[in-house]
Order: sequence, then structure tokens, then C-alpha cells
Amino acid sequence: MTALLLQRARRDRVQLAVWIVCTGLLAYVTANAVGSTYGGAEERTSIMRLAVANPSILLLRGLPQGTSLPAFVFFQIFTYLALLAALMSTFLAVRHSRAEEESGRAELLGATPAGRIRPTVATIVHGVAANLVLGAAVALGLAVGAMPVDGSLLTGLAAAAVGIAFLGLGLLAAQFAHTSRGANSISVALVLLAFVLRGVGDALGTPSSDGLRITSAWPSWLSPIGWAQHVGAFTANDAAPLLLCAALAVACGGAVFALQSRRDSGASLLPAPGGRADARPWLRGPFALAWRLQWPTIVAWCVGGALFGLVAGALSGVVVQAARQDPDLATMLQTLVPGEGTVTQVLISAMFGLVGFVAAACAAQGVIRARQEEAGGTAELLLSTPLGRVRWLAGYLLLGAVAIVLVLASAGVASTIAVFASGDDEAHIGESFAAAEAQIPAAVCYLGVLALVFVAVPSITAALGWALLGAGVFLGTFGGLIGLPQWVRDLSPFTHTPVVLARDTDLGGAAWLVGVAVAAASVALLLMRRRELR
Amino acid sequence: MSDLVIEARGLVKRFGRVRALDGLDLGVSAGEVHGFLGPNGAGKSTTIRILLGLARATGGGATLFGRDPWTDAVELHRRIAYVPGDVSIWPNLSGGEAVDLIGRLRGGTSDARAYAGRKARLIDVFQFDPTKKGRAYSKGNRQKVALVAAFATPADLYILDEPTSGLDPVMEAVFDAEIRRVAGEGATVLLSSHILSEVEQLCDRVSIIRAGKTVETGTLAALRHLTRIEVSFSTGPTDAQLAAIPSAHDLETAGGRVRFTADNDQLGAVLPALAQLGVQGLVIAPPSLEELFLRHYGDAAQ
Repeated sequence: MTALLLQRARRDRVQLAVWIVCTGLLAYVTANAVGSTYGGAEERTSIMRLAVANPSILLLRGLPQGTSLPAFVFFQIFTYLALLAALMSTFLAVRHSRAEEESGRAELLGATPAGRIRPTVATIVHGVAANLVLGAAVALGLAVGAMPVDGSLLTGLAAAAVGIAFLGLGLLAAQFAHTSRGANSISVALVLLAFVLRGVGDALGTPSSDGLRITSAWPSWLSPIGWAQHVGAFTANDAAPLLLCAALAVACGGAVFALQSRRDSGASLLPAPGGRADARPWLRGPFALAWRLQWPTIVAWCVGGALFGLVAGALSGVVVQAARQDPDLATMLQTLVPGEGTVTQVLISAMFGLVGFVAAACAAQGVIRARQEEAGGTAELLLSTPLGRVRWLAGYLLLGAVAIVLVLASAGVASTIAVFASGDDEAHIGESFAAAEAQIPAAVCYLGVLALVFVAVPSITAALGWALLGAGVFLGTFGGLIGLPQWVRDLSPFTHTPVVLARDTDLGGAAWLVGVAVAAASVALLLMRRRELR
Repeated sequence: MSDLVIEARGLVKRFGRVRALDGLDLGVSAGEVHGFLGPNGAGKSTTIRILLGLARATGGGATLFGRDPWTDAVELHRRIAYVPGDVSIWPNLSGGEAVDLIGRLRGGTSDARAYAGRKARLIDVFQFDPTKKGRAYSKGNRQKVALVAAFATPADLYILDEPTSGLDPVMEAVFDAEIRRVAGEGATVLLSSHILSEVEQLCDRVSIIRAGKTVETGTLAALRHLTRIEVSFSTGPTDAQLAAIPSAHDLETAGGRVRFTADNDQLGAVLPALAQLGVQGLVIAPPSLEELFLRHYGDAAQ
């Protein structure tokens, strides 16, 4: 048992350290920045009123619990801390369960006295420990950021509880899926669902009479992140909702052991799909192959985009109706609008910023896939046929561009349908699609730049790809909040995404992004002609 | 030397400070099956990657069909079938899909019926299940994907990098038959291997490389000529009698047998001496490829 634990700790030491340190730093930086940016109670009150009136802000932040400085910090950051803990835990769970079975290493261990159950127990202990350390890092980050100690500890504990609940869900997903990729897809979908459910619950919640607090609607109570949010750190300071997280983790753990004792090693509850004896007629070229390999991932990204679109459309309908009944709210919302846009346009624009992240991530993954083909040796098999290196890479880039359009189009369609369904007659089909279109430049910028990275320094494609995306999303989302200078925020492509309004849409930034994308992709293709396979 | 399909002269490939190839020469004539022998790490795969235009030589030059494999890779690949040493296939593509994809990229499927017939025959002889997903195949089965794909479309040159390392003996026999078939149809084959019996059975000529250099090249008969022949018989003659045998080298007595080696051209002088001694159980064996091999590799071990 000790050996199994040490092996896990050793294997994950860098990865977990990065997750934990980043999460703790995020807590510290936010606590610090909120203190300096929104130091005055009046500022916080007006911001909180706006938030309570604006469901899309609620969806992206948290549950308003008054305007004290610590409560404001908790509102701003907790859901993201919980999201990081959840993703760390599901990846950890799958890495030490299904991935091990898939690679055959589990068989090696299963043949020793460690047996079938003990590696799972070791994974659970390892995962719980990792989450407790993450919770401690969060508490430390907040406390060092001058937050009260009791609330900081509770916030850390709440983040750890969410992580532990998702550790259980991740292990359960690994019982169902045949491959680690499948198990990761299921569990990431569960994490995102938890985030969206609590967002919808908060957005549809009932505001208090002073407009500074919200009582969530029922969807929040379907989500572990929602439960943890209800600890009300720095205000109510009540750990009881975390029992729900613990109960879910225990239930999942029980189900995992029950399922594992019934199935063969390597088998899964969902059957492995059989293959075809012959390829479909269209599978004849680099683009077709890239599509054949990546379509499930692209569909998943499209579903993610469509979900965001649906939320954007539905929320804007709800808010517009509320604003019509309440002139005060309408005036308040109008102050949110930086130009001449309607309320619908503003809300949809803000929501589609998120869809832009999804599209860029999808594009980045396409280029990373090309690198995986090269590193894994399948590219060698392809390039030994009359298929040139440049055409091969061009196939991947073309598919990346198509995938960006597909993700944004599904978001646009979903948003349009939702706007119509909510009966908002202010809406026009064009608004959702214009907002979706505006996300293209930042996403293609990632595609082009990452293609250049792949050609020039292939070995760091994946690491740099995700790092650039994470940094861009961070600067785009939190850059303003934590008060970074404008030139730093300008480094993120998302900062230059045009805000589509009724008039005067500024397309200058978009032109730059597209220019950078085209230039980078062209240089990448030119260099590919002279590049060896590595 | 215009009939050389593969010609490499003084090929050098450096990876940082490491010289993977250090002046390698290789010549393969049209229509021959050429064995490419060497221990692991000798530079066989690196040479093959240069010949395929997947890597570029640091120094020296190589031509395939008289053309530069780096600049004319796409045109050359229309005539080449390749089986990598460590075959990777796409985890979510079935074996059949992978075979079809490679065949189509090679342009060998325009006659759909003929291609389907060749594919079906190969799947049958290699006892290969084309419906499994790539991730479910063992090493041997992944190798079969590459072999079926290589032999399912006609090529002028087959480049095979240790193609049988994951196959069982029955499948090795099937592989040998396929090599004889394509050789019979006039194709040229470069077969990298360290399985000596395979090379001995299939190859017209061999090149032995070590540490990035060609140490020996020629027909098997010519290479054998360079080595000594082993003579052995039952014990009986006295030590003095044995010492009198002309041209006997490395004489030893063990397990009731006397053994020595003799140069090929001295055998005529050895035989009358053995006849005079009236030796029993005489065995005269030509050098196996293994001995050739060990002789060259042995230098590395010392």
C-alpha cells in the first residue's frame, strides 16, 4: 500500500504541484486585487447590484452574499477554485484507473498481491490527500491576501470537498468508459455540467430586497459546486452543505468497488465499439483523416459551445422581460452597455466571449493532435506515402478552421433558438451570429500561432499550446479584475475580440488577429517544407 | 552503376553530438533482395528514414531511382512501400481502415476490384482481423497492418525495417512467401533485420553495418568465402598428429570432438591429412551467417 501511494505521489509530483500552486495563487491574487480595486464599500455595493441584476454575471461568478470585502472575494473566485479542484481530481482519477488498465500496467499490478482493490484504495487516498493540500493552499492564499482565517479555511475545505466529490465521479466514469480518453470526456462533461447547473440556479435565483444577495433556484442544488458555494464563507460560515459532497464521494466510491469486483480487468460497462473492415470511401487524404480522427472531440466542443449559446439566449430573454417590467433594472442595465447596443446584444456578447474560449481550445487541440500523430509514429506511416509534409499539415490547419466555425455556428444556432423560445421580440437572428462571428479572429490566431510552434519547436506544442490558451483566458477574464496594466492584457488575443453592437463595431483588433493568424500559418507551412519528422 | 535503385555514399547523420551515421555506403541493384544487417543502434532505421525523406542527411548523399529522397519525396513515394520497425497505428481506426487509407494515399486502389482481391488474400494469409480498433492490436498485429498495407498495392521498391520482429514462425513463413512473390515480379527489396535465418533465406546480397558505417557488403557466397570453414571429427588422433595438420587454426578438443577452422582456399591441403589420420564422424561446415555476423559484431564487444 505504501509502495502504491509513493508511486502515485512520485508520478504526479510535478503535475499536482502545478495545479495546487496555481489554484492557491489564484486565490491569493484575487483576494489581493479585489482589496485594492474594490476597496470602497460603495463601489462594491454598486457592482453587486449590477451583478444581482445581470444573470450572465451570476453565471460566470458565484452567489452574491452581501458586500463585505471577503464575501465579495468569495463571490468572484470560489466557483473557479472549485472548477480547478474538480478538474484536477477527475484527471487524477482517470490517470490512475482507466488509463492504467488501458495501457496494461494495471495487469502487471493485478498479478501481484496488490490485487484489484488495493490500487483503487491507493488512488482514493492519494486523491483525497491531493485535494486537502489544494484546500490548504487556497486557505493559505486567501489568508495571506488578508482575508479572515476562519472563512479562508472554510473556502479551502469547500474547494477540497468539491474535488473529492469529483474524484469519486471520475473513478465511476472510469468504470464505464473503455478508454481513458472516453473516461476523461465523461468526467470533464460532468464538471462543466456542475458549473453550468449552479450558474443557471444562481442566475434564476431570487434576489433579496436590498438587491445584494441571492437565494439560488433548485438547479444549484444538483451540483457539487453549488453545494459547496452554499457554505457562505466569511458570512454564514456553515460547513454543513459539504456533507452532500462527502456523501456523493462515498456513494461513488461504493459503486466503484461494487462494479470493480464484478468485472474483468480491462473490461468496461460501456462496450468497446467494433470497427469496420473497410474504410468509408471518403477516407482518402489528410483532411479526411484529420476529421475521422477528431470528429468526436469536435462534436464534444460543439456541444459545449451550444450549451453556452443556449444559456446566453435563454438568459437574455429572461433579463429583457424583467427589464421591461422594472424600469429601474432597465436603467441599471443600460449603464452596463458601453455603446449603443440593446440589452440582448450586451448579454449575448458577454456570453459569446466564453464560446470564443471553447472555439480557441478546439483549434489548439487540433494542432496538438498533429503533434501527437508525429510523436506517436503514425505520421511516419502517412508521410512514407506520396503525401507531402506541407499538405499533411495543411489538412490539420484546414480542419482546425472548420472546427472553429462549427463550434461557433452551433453556439449561434442554439442561442438564436433560445432567444426566440423565450419570446424576446427585440431579438434578431443576426445578433447571435454576429456575436459568434466576432470570436473567429481570436480562435484562428491561436490556430496559426500554434501551427508555427508545432513546426519550429514540436516537442513543446502541447505544453505551450495549453499554457498560451490558459494565459489568454486568464488575462481576458481576470486581467481587468486584478488590475493588470493594459499592455499586459493586450497580450491576450481575447482582449482584441470585437464587441458587436448596433453601431460602431471596432474591427481593428480583429484585423490584427486575422493578420497574425494568416502570417503565422503561412510561415509554418513554408517551414514545414524544410522540416524533418521528429 | 546506373541500375542501382538505392545508392548511398558517405552518408552522415548527426543528432547533436551523436553521429548516428558515420559515412555509410549502400548500393542496392534493381530486382535484388538486399539484406541490411546490423545490431540495434547501428543506424539501420536512421538510414531508412533518410532514404524515405523523413530525415535529412547531415553529410554525404543518397539517391533512390537516381533522385534525391529529400526533395523528390512525394514522387518517389509513389513507387515505394514501407513497413516501419515499430508500427504505430491510429487507436480509433480499425486495422482495415488503416490499410485502406494507406493504400489510397499510395494511389494503388484505382482498380478497386483488384485491390479488394489483394487485400482479402493478404488478410487471409496473415490471419488478420481487420475489424478491431487500432488500440486493441498487439505488436504483431500492428505489424500485420503495415505488412498488409505494403503488399496490397504494387510497388517498385519495398523498404522493410525489421518487419518480422513481432511475428510468430508461421507468419514469418507467410512473410517470406510474400517477399519471394514481389521479388519474382521484379521489385527491389531492402530488408533490414537482425534475424539471420530470414536474411540467409531471402537475400541475394547483404550489407552489414556497425556504428553507422558499412563494414561488409556482398553476396552471401562472397562473404562466406572470406571466413574460415569449421572442421570437426571424433577424438582419436594424438596431440602430435593433430598438430601436424596443415593450416589448422583455433584447434581445440571438447566433448569428444576435435574442432578447428581452416581458410577456405587451404581446404585442399587439409583433406589429405585428415584422410591419412582416418578420422571418424567428419563434419565440414560452411560458416553460418551467424558467424559472419558475430565476427563483425565481436569487434564492438572487445
